[in-house]
Amino acid sequence: MPSGRANVGDGGVQYSFAMEYHGPPITRHLPRAVPINVDRIPVAAVVSQGSLSDKLALPVVQPILASDITKNFSKELGLGSECLVSPKSVISFERQIGDDDSVSKELLLGLGTETTVSPNSGPSNHDCRLSGELSCSGTLEINPDGRYGSGDFSDVINSSTELGASTTSHDLSKELLAGVGSSGTLGFSDSFDKSRDLSGSPSEFGVSNACKESLDINDLSQPDWASTESILSFDYPSSRVSSLQVGDCISEPACDERRNLVVTFRDIESEDGDLTEELNGAEPEITGLKKEFEVRAKKGTCYRCFKGNRFTEKEVCIVCDAKYCSNCVLRAMGSMPEGRKCVACIGSPIDESKRGNLGKCSRMLKRLLNDLEVRHIMKAEKFCSMNQLPSEYVCVNGKPLCHEELHLLQSCPNPPKKLKPGNYWYDKVSGLWGKEGEKPSKIISPHLYVGDPIKADASNGNTQVFINGREITKVELRMLQLAGVQCAGNPHFWVNEDGSYQEEGQKNTKGYIWGKAGTKLVCAVLSLPVPSKSTYSCGEQVNNVVSRPLPDYLEQRTLQKLLLIGLSGSGTSTMFKQAKILYKDVPFTEDERENIKLLIQGNVYGYLGILLEGRERFEDESLNERRNYNCSRSPGQTGHADENDEKTIYSICPRLKAFSDWLLKIMVSGTLEAVFPAATREYAPLVEELWDDAAIQATYDRRKELEMLPNIASYFLERAVDILRPDYIPSNVDILYAEGITSSNGLACVDFTFPQPASDDVDSADQHDSLLRFQLIRVQARGFGENCKWLEMFEDVRIVIFSVSLSDYDQFAVDGDGTLENKMMLSRKFFESIVTHPTYDQLDFLLVLNKFDLFEEKIEQVPLTQCEWFDDFHPLMSRHRSSNSNSNSINNSPSLSQLAFHYIAVKFKRLFSSLTARKLYVSLVKGLEPGSVDEALKYAREILKWDEEGANFSLSEYSMYSTEASSFSH
Amino acid sequence: MSVAELKERHMAATETVNALRERLKQKRLLLLDTDGLSWELRSMNLAVATYARSQGKTPLTFGPTDLVCCRNLQGHTGKFRGGLLGMLTYEVYSLDWTAEKNRIVSASQDGRLIVWNALTSQKTHAIKLPCAWVMTCAFSPSGLSVACGGLDSVCSIFNLNSPTDKDGNSPVARMLSGHKGYVSSCQYVPDEDTHLITSSGDQTCVLWDITTGLRTSVFGGEFQSGHTADVLSVSINGSNSRMFVSGSCDTTARLWDTRVASRAVRTFHGHEGDVNSVKFFPDGNRFGTGSDDGTCRLFDIRTGHQLQVYQQQHGDNDAPHVTSIAFSISGRLLFAGYSNGDCYVWDTLLAKMVLDLGSLQNSHGGRISCLGLSSDGSALCTGSWDTTLKIWAFGGHRRVI
Repeated sequence: MPSGRANVGDGGVQYSFAMEYHGPPITRHLPRAVPINVDRIPVAAVVSQGSLSDKLALPVVQPILASDITKNFSKELGLGSECLVSPKSVISFERQIGDDDSVSKELLLGLGTETTVSPNSGPSNHDCRLSGELSCSGTLEINPDGRYGSGDFSDVINSSTELGASTTSHDLSKELLAGVGSSGTLGFSDSFDKSRDLSGSPSEFGVSNACKESLDINDLSQPDWASTESILSFDYPSSRVSSLQVGDCISEPACDERRNLVVTFRDIESEDGDLTEELNGAEPEITGLKKEFEVRAKKGTCYRCFKGNRFTEKEVCIVCDAKYCSNCVLRAMGSMPEGRKCVACIGSPIDESKRGNLGKCSRMLKRLLNDLEVRHIMKAEKFCSMNQLPSEYVCVNGKPLCHEELHLLQSCPNPPKKLKPGNYWYDKVSGLWGKEGEKPSKIISPHLYVGDPIKADASNGNTQVFINGREITKVELRMLQLAGVQCAGNPHFWVNEDGSYQEEGQKNTKGYIWGKAGTKLVCAVLSLPVPSKSTYSCGEQVNNVVSRPLPDYLEQRTLQKLLLIGLSGSGTSTMFKQAKILYKDVPFTEDERENIKLLIQGNVYGYLGILLEGRERFEDESLNERRNYNCSRSPGQTGHADENDEKTIYSICPRLKAFSDWLLKIMVSGTLEAVFPAATREYAPLVEELWDDAAIQATYDRRKELEMLPNIASYFLERAVDILRPDYIPSNVDILYAEGITSSNGLACVDFTFPQPASDDVDSADQHDSLLRFQLIRVQARGFGENCKWLEMFEDVRIVIFSVSLSDYDQFAVDGDGTLENKMMLSRKFFESIVTHPTYDQLDFLLVLNKFDLFEEKIEQVPLTQCEWFDDFHPLMSRHRSSNSNSNSINNSPSLSQLAFHYIAVKFKRLFSSLTARKLYVSLVKGLEPGSVDEALKYAREILKWDEEGANFSLSEYSMYSTEASSFSH
Repeated sequence: MSVAELKERHMAATETVNALRERLKQKRLLLLDTDGLSWELRSMNLAVATYARSQGKTPLTFGPTDLVCCRNLQGHTGKFRGGLLGMLTYEVYSLDWTAEKNRIVSASQDGRLIVWNALTSQKTHAIKLPCAWVMTCAFSPSGLSVACGGLDSVCSIFNLNSPTDKDGNSPVARMLSGHKGYVSSCQYVPDEDTHLITSSGDQTCVLWDITTGLRTSVFGGEFQSGHTADVLSVSINGSNSRMFVSGSCDTTARLWDTRVASRAVRTFHGHEGDVNSVKFFPDGNRFGTGSDDGTCRLFDIRTGHQLQVYQQQHGDNDAPHVTSIAFSISGRLLFAGYSNGDCYVWDTLLAKMVLDLGSLQNSHGGRISCLGLSSDGSALCTGSWDTTLKIWAFGGHRRVI
């Protein structure tokens, strides 16, 4: 709709401007505008981008105005360049005027307005004379003219403002407005401005580069405003049209009226004319417009430098068909991120008729660029997402495909070659493939889940013989007869991909259609397809959608990223490992396990070291105690008491003592990691001995007093002997418990899909779900905070899973600025900073309250009010608490820990909604229990699903593609 | 020792340090007071500028066409976030020129390193990275390999000549792993393809031997005089490759000698925000810094003094952060990219802003994240969060100053 209106509109502008203007003021202003150029040029480029792309949608049609133009052209040339203005620019400008005028003429005719079209057949004048000539033509049709002018007016303003037209141009237009007092003029003045730009720039800049560029851009884009403006005005906030609107308001209704008229035009034209190849009978006015773009440059010249002829080698833009010579192509196409497109066309879908040329390099590029460069351009051209066949354009059995289906179709072992947009039928059982209403053209891989079930009239047959539910065509019937298939009695056949056929309702195979040698010959004669040799036995693999690698452009869309963060010690690492174990067939590779093994062994030595350190401390303490005791008892005898009292239960034999000293020395020097993996084998027996030693066991019994020893240490220490064996292979549980596996580097990510439910009735929604790939990204918490430099790198995550360890409420840790603070408060601080981070301001958050198992134990001993944030936690069971019988409170239906969990969740929810006014999702997790982590991640998936359904409830179920789809639809 | 007691002690110690730091500053200013300049001027760090003016130096002038965007490198493709927000952009995070001046490597959040031919603005290599969150990249002095690092805490080296696999991906030639935090910046030691210095979020800088893949020395970390927060940037002295300087989130810049890993040669205070970017002055005796506090500063490595502040007055308090800086070959110009998309050209001598690239035609639409000067100084390349890189070159003639 928009572009059609614009067509008329543009015509209108030019028209009105042709009519209403008088010469004098313009000529006066001309020189003054020159200095603005610099400002205006760059922005013009921006607009032209849109314009060219839009242009695309218009069909290419035969030139009508050739005579007009050539006339212009020759006249112009005849006039010669009387000033410094480069002839080229003037020419293009002139031509444009001519074209537009004629277009408007045609439009008028088409509309059936009563006007006798403008007699200004002589638009072929140089710019200065232009105004006068235009004004003379105005008298006749003031009414329609005003209409056009005003209707267009907003558009033009839009474009000009988009262009960032400098103040001078506005001034100019205002003056003009004052002079003529009609909105039509305003439009004119603007466009005139632009054109003057063109002519002006060369004189200003001489031959400078920038000038060339600007000239080019203007040239290219100017005629296309016709089509772009519509788009611009479409989403243009009216407020920005600003003061210039004054004159426009008056003619607002007229403008609307005009729009109504135009709607019809646009409808016809907007059917993606060139795509569906239906537009043969399109309106003449459209053809005129399109042609105008085509013929702007002399036939065969380069679109940028206007040199050369039709025999010079040129590269063609795959979007707008602009042709550039070898001198200009790199300039005009820039770095070609999407292949051979002009800079302005980047981001636009390609011309479908050029699809065949994708990735086929011309000799010219090969000459200009080196091999590597060419290869990258061609790769980009073929594989960038913008150039892919829009899946909606391919209908199979009456249903437009989605991206996944199209990809399935194209990547199957035997794909339909050179797939073009259109309607196709596909027989899933036999793999027969053809255009809708036609005989089969190909046999592709069978059993692909694309499109709807086949319809009986898919190939428009009238033989009353059916194959797999499709009424076959006469040609096919002939082939069947020649192949010796009994077709009497209008049978319904059931044909498999290998050509075996049976009658419907019968079990036994009657024969093989393509089995006979002659059949293939017959098929060739009748131009019917025969199965290619590789078709067989591929059906099974094809359906395994998940395991197939996806091309890059699709992969990005289907991958949903979940960011898992939390302070160190909040259990993100455990959750991450749990996810790996849950969803990966091979959670850890051999290499990883080997590394993990070394790590665990190193850890165990670390724990041992802590134990030994503790042992020394305990030994000293008990010795001191004893000495003190001795001293107090008999002050004179300390001298020889030493030897007797050296032994306590914490003492170890000298050999072990040596080992212990050595280990502690290594730990102090901080080289434990460097020494240990290598020394493991050597020391394993010693460790065994050490572990069995009574002193160590005694120390181990007092492990609660060793703050350095993490909770999980006991898990490993009890298995220390096994673990330190060289042939030890860490089990999944070991890995789950182990520290430092993922935290050694800052970031870890794992791609996974949720396993499909076991039930085999897979409806389409489920199937779609299983296509979703997730990526769980786990980042280490260190260095988070306000000056965290890299949180914004994760702007493409879909949900943030924030993990908080419930058992942190009585723990303390050192803050960023060196002060000791409650870890729960630190978590809260961190939570606040993440939630309010601008990168995540629209994201969903899932709060995971982790380590519930520890929390359950702890809360019975340490009151939750330890943390100042929770000081108003007064659970209903306070009666029990007052009676100091916490441990008995399990009799109550909700346990204390449950209550505390809900309390904390509400605390966080309130905090969240006070910060963002949105809803926080909370999940309770025991990191060490697989089911609990699985549940939390599935919850995250559900949240994402709600999100999409909420946003796109009116759109298709494939809401992921909705943005993409809409971008194709204009 | 109780928590409260510890806290108290810490407070006291912090106060002492601050007092000492203040005294040091005063002393420095006193030492600088040798040419009879007034106290106010010195404290405003305008000494250099004033002196220069007194010597009859005038600021450079730049017209809008003097620097022209002559290439626009597009190729880092869009980021996709399903659902509401649709297409996002992949920010360009880092770039580096080759020594032989016509190639650029850029790293972007699409997980690709792209090697560009700056003359044709075409890609010659596109390397898909195993970890998409890349923060830095560098060309080796010989131009044969590129290094990159990011959130995976590994610095990966890619050989540009190595054959690619069937998907067109280059294999990683060497992984330099050992950092415990993200790799924020990396630079090859000039004229050596085998040594590389990285800075990291683990508060250290590391000198690597690429042939063995091992750390030669670690700067900072557990040692006393290292950075106390993430190190964001390093720059190696071009005239003496043993010296390098690092900028960090602890608002300081530190000078290091690669032979003495144990302690920093000197610590430079002055910034009030994270130091995002450091760059050695071409003569090797000074270096520039760019910081979150919106200023660029020039420090002298021999005296430890701050010579100059480059600051644009902003009405409100939140001045745009300086993300990246570069010096012209002569050192007269300082290019600074800002988080609001501005890119100023400063006259280093007079501390005057002479041009804003953000106001020119074809300027970037997003934050300038990185910039770099080609080795011959003829072109400036800027990378932005709008996914593009732009190459700027002098568009006009000017008389030599």
